[in-house]
Amino acid sequence: MSKYSDDPAWSDIVPLPQDDGGPNPLAAIAYKDEYSEAMSYLRAVMAENEMSERVLGLTEHIISMNPAHYTVWLYRAKCLFTLSSDLKAEIAWLNPTALKHLKNYQIWHHRQTIIEKLDSADGEVTFISSMLEADSKNYHVWSYRQWLVRRFDLWHEGELEAVEGMLKEDVRNNSAWNHRWFVVFGNEKMEGVDDGVLEREMDYAKAAIYMTPQNQSPWNYLRGLLRYAKLPASTLKEFALEFASPEKPDEVHSSHALDLLADIYAEEENKKEAEKALDLLAKRFDPIRANYWNYRKSLLELPAAAS
Amino acid sequence: MSLVSGPGRGGITDDRLPHELRLFVDKHVCYIQSLDTRKDELEYWLTEHLRLSGLYWGLTALHLLGRPDGLPRNEVLDFVMSCMHDNGGFGAAPGHDAHMLYTISAVQILATLDAFGELEERVGGGRQKIGQYIASLQDTTTGTFAGDEWGETDTRFLYGALNALSLLGLLDLVNINQAVEHIQECANFDGGYGTSPGAESHAGQIFTCVAALSIAGRLDLVDRDKLGGWLSERQLKNGGLNGRPEKKEDVCYSWWVASSLAMIGRLHWIDAEKLTKFILNCQDPELGGFADRPGNMVDVFHTVFGIAGLSLVKYAGLVEVDPVYCMPLAVTKRALGKLK
Ligand SMILES: [Zn+2]
Repeated sequence: MSKYSDDPAWSDIVPLPQDDGGPNPLAAIAYKDEYSEAMSYLRAVMAENEMSERVLGLTEHIISMNPAHYTVWLYRAKCLFTLSSDLKAEIAWLNPTALKHLKNYQIWHHRQTIIEKLDSADGEVTFISSMLEADSKNYHVWSYRQWLVRRFDLWHEGELEAVEGMLKEDVRNNSAWNHRWFVVFGNEKMEGVDDGVLEREMDYAKAAIYMTPQNQSPWNYLRGLLRYAKLPASTLKEFALEFASPEKPDEVHSSHALDLLADIYAEEENKKEAEKALDLLAKRFDPIRANYWNYRKSLLELPAAAS
Repeated sequence: MSLVSGPGRGGITDDRLPHELRLFVDKHVCYIQSLDTRKDELEYWLTEHLRLSGLYWGLTALHLLGRPDGLPRNEVLDFVMSCMHDNGGFGAAPGHDAHMLYTISAVQILATLDAFGELEERVGGGRQKIGQYIASLQDTTTGTFAGDEWGETDTRFLYGALNALSLLGLLDLVNINQAVEHIQECANFDGGYGTSPGAESHAGQIFTCVAALSIAGRLDLVDRDKLGGWLSERQLKNGGLNGRPEKKEDVCYSWWVASSLAMIGRLHWIDAEKLTKFILNCQDPELGGFADRPGNMVDVFHTVFGIAGLSLVKYAGLVEVDPVYCMPLAVTKRALGKLK
């Protein structure tokens, strides 16, 4: 196939140019030859619609050089299915390839196609964990994880524990917070959530806020719980007051608490306190969004402000 | 159009006075024009799978800079048509499979060049063919769209489908109501939208969902205050915008976040002056182009979204951009107006 792939002298070439100036020019020129030679073979076999072990080797070679080339992945999948290849072996090959190319997403679509056909999620969660260890906020990995949970009904197979472990590591990981919501509330077959679960989730988000009062994610989560359960904002009044009060501008530990208090006071039709909280946000704690806070203030003038 | 990064880096490193922080229009024009002369670079070939989108990014940037003739029209048209497949879809470059993303780029380029007439001359019934290809990718059980025959779905593809079909005047080929329902299922507890139901809110996906709703005429379904609150929270102290909580700022989010805010009438909720400064600091004042943030290599992707972001906040001298399409407003008005 390629005279370069069999040559150990070329095995050390890094397939993708680096952010800091690219590979050295000599290696780049040689590498370009290898790549364009492999591509010219691919065009030839695709023209003949050849499906063979030889083609699988060729696609592997090209993917190793350029994993973002979507046509190569599609052709490889076609080939695997036509030859009834060992799909477990394909997954075993994909694992290190995915870890090497963290930002690539074609790989995840390919993986999903293979796992769908295999009809088994064996080993997938373990692999996902190792991916998330390398990149804990990778959007493609989290999306794939959600697909897997839905497809194989893994809602109660350790997902909540796993996400708890990740939040313990980084309580600011918004992706993990989102996955928590997904695991608790995302099961379409589930009929509502009982009060015990709701309370558990409230407590969980509150505990995270005690650790990191200025962390957006658990505040968003808490607000989401209120909306989900159709509870008034005042449910959280005492809690919010632990972090801020419009009366003590020098002791504000969380702008998110002030934000929530503004809603609570509006709900109570205590316009004066709501205004104070919003003014503090506009002038002192979040001036970059002054227009937003001022808009919120203007809503207080409307008769429906308390809604 | 090449997607080779560099040659320069974003960021003004010398001691220029603040008033010299301006848009280096000529440098950016030269930068974009030079992209296709870099065929001796490895990265040129490794990014071939994005070529047609790269062309759309470069062409749109030139139009917004007020240099619509910056690229040779006939050559651009020839290249676009060389990517078309018999099924009506377009690949990223000749020899690449047809895919939704490149089909959208092709339609956007054709609209920008006012070339739907030439499309029909070259391929009889071309407009219908493209429309049929896009329509065939709608998932009739969920209403969303796939990227290709392999079925990967994403709200990006849904948006792209509505974008291209509306420009072609063929929205009636698909089930809009079902697509709208799907978008609503992608709405999250924090007010944002993700790539599929349950997926994390992400400014890029929010753009696709809000823009799709806008094309469908259903922005009434958006909780503007809640979503606007989340979006405006994306602005960091340095003026730049991130795509999700606790992530770094990036020039391309100047577009995804600010255009979404513009569509729901909340653009003034972020500090435009600070954003402008941040974007301008990401350009290379010598060789042209924008990087994702100061100090990194420039590329055409961040160049168009940096310029489009500046256009949104009405930076002097730039052509007005349409927040729904990321194309010059005059172009979308012309394309959509012709259909009426
Ligand atoms: Zn970016």
